[in-house]
Amino acid sequence: MELKSKILIAEETLVIQLKQKDHQAKAFEILVNTYKERLYWHIRRIVLNHDDADDVLQNTFIKVFRNIDSFKGDSKLYSWMYRIATNESLSFLKSKSHKLKINNEKLMTKAVEDLRADVYFEGDEIQHKLQMAIATLPEKQKLIFNMKYFQEMKYEEISEILDTTVGGLKASYHLASKKIEAFLKEN
Amino acid sequence: MDKLNKNNSFKVPEGYFDTLSNDLMKKIAKEDISTPLNEGFKVPEGYFENINSKILGQLENTSVEPKVIPLKSYKKHYYTAASIAAVILLFLSVQFNSVKTPSYSDLANSDIEHYFEFNDLELSSYDLAEILPIHDLDLNDILESRLDNDNIIDYLDSHIDDFEELNMHNDD
Repeated sequence: MELKSKILIAEETLVIQLKQKDHQAKAFEILVNTYKERLYWHIRRIVLNHDDADDVLQNTFIKVFRNIDSFKGDSKLYSWMYRIATNESLSFLKSKSHKLKINNEKLMTKAVEDLRADVYFEGDEIQHKLQMAIATLPEKQKLIFNMKYFQEMKYEEISEILDTTVGGLKASYHLASKKIEAFLKEN
Repeated sequence: MDKLNKNNSFKVPEGYFDTLSNDLMKKIAKEDISTPLNEGFKVPEGYFENINSKILGQLENTSVEPKVIPLKSYKKHYYTAASIAAVILLFLSVQFNSVKTPSYSDLANSDIEHYFEFNDLELSSYDLAEILPIHDLDLNDILESRLDNDNIIDYLDSHIDDFEELNMHNDD
């Protein structure tokens, strides 16, 4: 059997176990162990700062646990979790900008500026500039760029998570790369 | 499962199937984790080792306990509620002909905008995309800068090697 179909079956078994009271705890631990790192990096690239990413990651897993009964299996478990992580990150940023009474764009510019003093960011000038460029992108282009460029995900996978056609994704990625290129040239 | 095992002389190590999903999930966890190599982001030491207990702790703290609702305490409110309802009904029946119920068109656009601005509807852009009618929308309604035919032609011109290949017909 191919590894891919084995993984699918393993995921299905895990979902079944997550829905059963007796196996829930163990299955949840496996789920967290399997996905904590990749979900963390996905979230971190959206919210940028470690403490925020930590909050959002925990909320994501709690949402997954509480809503596992509503997971119908129409998509892959991991796409479903990525979708939850994405929505959690975006609503986290939204409520943060509400609290600070600034718009999302300003919030992101501030977050990138804060990276300079962040002990958990050791990027050099070029990496910081790249983050500045990414911060100028519209929300969806930013998500697509991060998933494609840093996470090297396939368009088909991103399409399932963001519910967008592959064609649309390719166009957005193309636009995003052009904007980043232009930003880096100008600055 | 027993059906599959009828007359089966093959054996598997004890507990094989119990640990199989765990092993596989470990394999997925290791498989191409896109840890940023050149991005500069770092995590505190031991963060990923400790996150499990943190999440489990949070889950316990936020566990949804069914609330016990005392039924009796509501009883006294029923009379109050009933009398208020009766007064409202009476008032409405008297005023029925003269009161004009506000309709959607009476709302000022600014009020609607204000509502969306200050009420957290928790709608993501994907939710919005689902309820927005596509047919009445023009591409230029959602773009920040206007997209004219000239821009499109310029774009195609600079990105496509053979412009003629597009078979465009210009009727002008």
